[in-house]
Amino acid sequence: MKRISLKWPLIIFSSFLSIIIFIVPLYGASLYSFRGEGGKGHSLVNYQWLLHQDGFYPSLFTSLKLAVLAGLLNLILMVPTMVYLNLKGQRYKSLVDFLCILPLIIPVVSLAIGAQVAMPKILQNSEYELVFFFVIIALPYTYRALDTSLQTVALKTLVEASRSLGATWTRTIIRVIVPAIRSGITGALFLTFALSIGEYTITSLLHWETFPTWTVVAAQQNILGAIAISVFSFVGAIALLSVIALFSKKSAQKAEVEE
Amino acid sequence: MSKSDRVSSTLELRGVSRHFGSVKALDGLDITVAPGELVALLGPSGCGKTTALRIVAGLETATAGDLMVNGVRYNDTPANERDMGMVFQHYSLFPNLSVSENIEYGLRARKVDSGKRKKRIDEMLELIGLESKRSAYPHQLSGGQQQRVALARALAVQPRVLLLDEPLSALDAQVRGQIREEIRRIQLELGITTLFVTHDQEEAMAISDRVGVMSHGRLEQIDTPIALYNSPATPFVASFVGHANRLPAEITAKGKARVLNQKVDISSSAEEFTEGMKVNVIIRPESLEIVSESDESATRGIVALKSFLGPMTKVGIAVEGAPLVHLNIASREVRKIEIGDKIAFKISSDEVMAERV
Repeated sequence: MKRISLKWPLIIFSSFLSIIIFIVPLYGASLYSFRGEGGKGHSLVNYQWLLHQDGFYPSLFTSLKLAVLAGLLNLILMVPTMVYLNLKGQRYKSLVDFLCILPLIIPVVSLAIGAQVAMPKILQNSEYELVFFFVIIALPYTYRALDTSLQTVALKTLVEASRSLGATWTRTIIRVIVPAIRSGITGALFLTFALSIGEYTITSLLHWETFPTWTVVAAQQNILGAIAISVFSFVGAIALLSVIALFSKKSAQKAEVEE
Repeated sequence: MSKSDRVSSTLELRGVSRHFGSVKALDGLDITVAPGELVALLGPSGCGKTTALRIVAGLETATAGDLMVNGVRYNDTPANERDMGMVFQHYSLFPNLSVSENIEYGLRARKVDSGKRKKRIDEMLELIGLESKRSAYPHQLSGGQQQRVALARALAVQPRVLLLDEPLSALDAQVRGQIREEIRRIQLELGITTLFVTHDQEEAMAISDRVGVMSHGRLEQIDTPIALYNSPATPFVASFVGHANRLPAEITAKGKARVLNQKVDISSSAEEFTEGMKVNVIIRPESLEIVSESDESATRGIVALKSFLGPMTKVGIAVEGAPLVHLNIASREVRKIEIGDKIAFKISSDEVMAERV
């Protein structure tokens, strides 16, 4: 009996689903965001309004800055930790795995209030405390991205080869491990960045202003402007993440192609 | 790089032990590798040979004993400060670095200036004959080429001791032979002290100055390949090195035994055997010879197996009351022998080794 291929029906179905879920609302929102004053005609007036709002640039800059810092801090903390766990700390792996899932289990309110109390005073009074929160909420994802990547390379052999050639641990991590798990690192960075730049609840609870919290306030003044903000955020986030993905792909290709 | 560029080192392991809980992976290992010597550690899986090598490399810590290089204790020196070059069993080239960058890696770690680095890379590439592959990445090389680059990378830093951890086991038979000879050529050319771990006796015997046979974390015997083969110190060495028949026998008098209805002399051993004791004797296939069926003192059996091994053919003879007895016969002579033929053979060896059952 001839087997029926489900490939094309699945492609058509998933494309249809994507159109319904993502493209139709985005298209609809875009149409609204380009409406002229009084809801008539098409213009860029809502985007102009957005760009001239107080707090737009500072909040956007703050979010980008905190997201970048969170991504870097996450990598600085997690890459050596994951390397250690995969090399020598196998017995602690399930414990760390459990700890990294906790941010998904603990209610955000408890996490925000509890963790803030435990933070040093100097951080409690600084927006940089958000970096630590962003790192915490990204842990479940970065743990898995890095762990999967580390398991695909001959980590032990590469580390031992590097050490036996006279390299320090720092050199080994930077020159050998990081390039070998580039895809996992990009994934971890990608996820931390995406989670950080869109994080609202903790920021709002701790009374800091980032782009998401500013957006909520600004959106209450102008409904079409609010839609323009949504479209801007969505397209902007996709553009930024695409740049990261493209950069990572290019550097991976560079390593694979002969000099 | 030539012999004069380096000072060959003496490597000593003095009573080195490594315990994993109650398991003794290594139990009081004593070995001295002379400057420029290639010593192989040979043994079955789990005998402790790789643990010994890893202790020398600084990748494992000894539970007891001392590791000395040129008389200096190295036990507490970190792996990256030991100046040992190591080639691993698995391909260990850094995948993101080209061949020349891989070779350069250890030199950069030692902060060698760029002019010297470039010169050393050229020398190493010439040594392994891969000048044309300097810009290739590991995934663009064959297994044999990768191991040659790994060897060049280990040698580029002019290590005190070269450590080879079954570097040929991942290669196919033909390439293995080539690389084996290449390793020996380079080792002799550079005069570098080398410790080579393998479970392949042919490999160990072919390129080593001395071979140490290990079992259960202990060194059974260390000697030249010829001495090891001809004068094994223990039954384990006799059966592990080369091929051997292990046949049931009975002690008939002090130093005498009867095996396959033939009388043999037992070689001197630490073990005392008393008359009437059941033992196993170890007889090499080449110590058995086909004789005429009319020879009254010969053992008779039926040919049950013929395995062509090139110039020699291994013949298995089924004898009543004994496991299959193996003989090596020149392949040009074996044509006359067919499976199922009756055959007579004698033990030609002066002495055989015995062990308790």
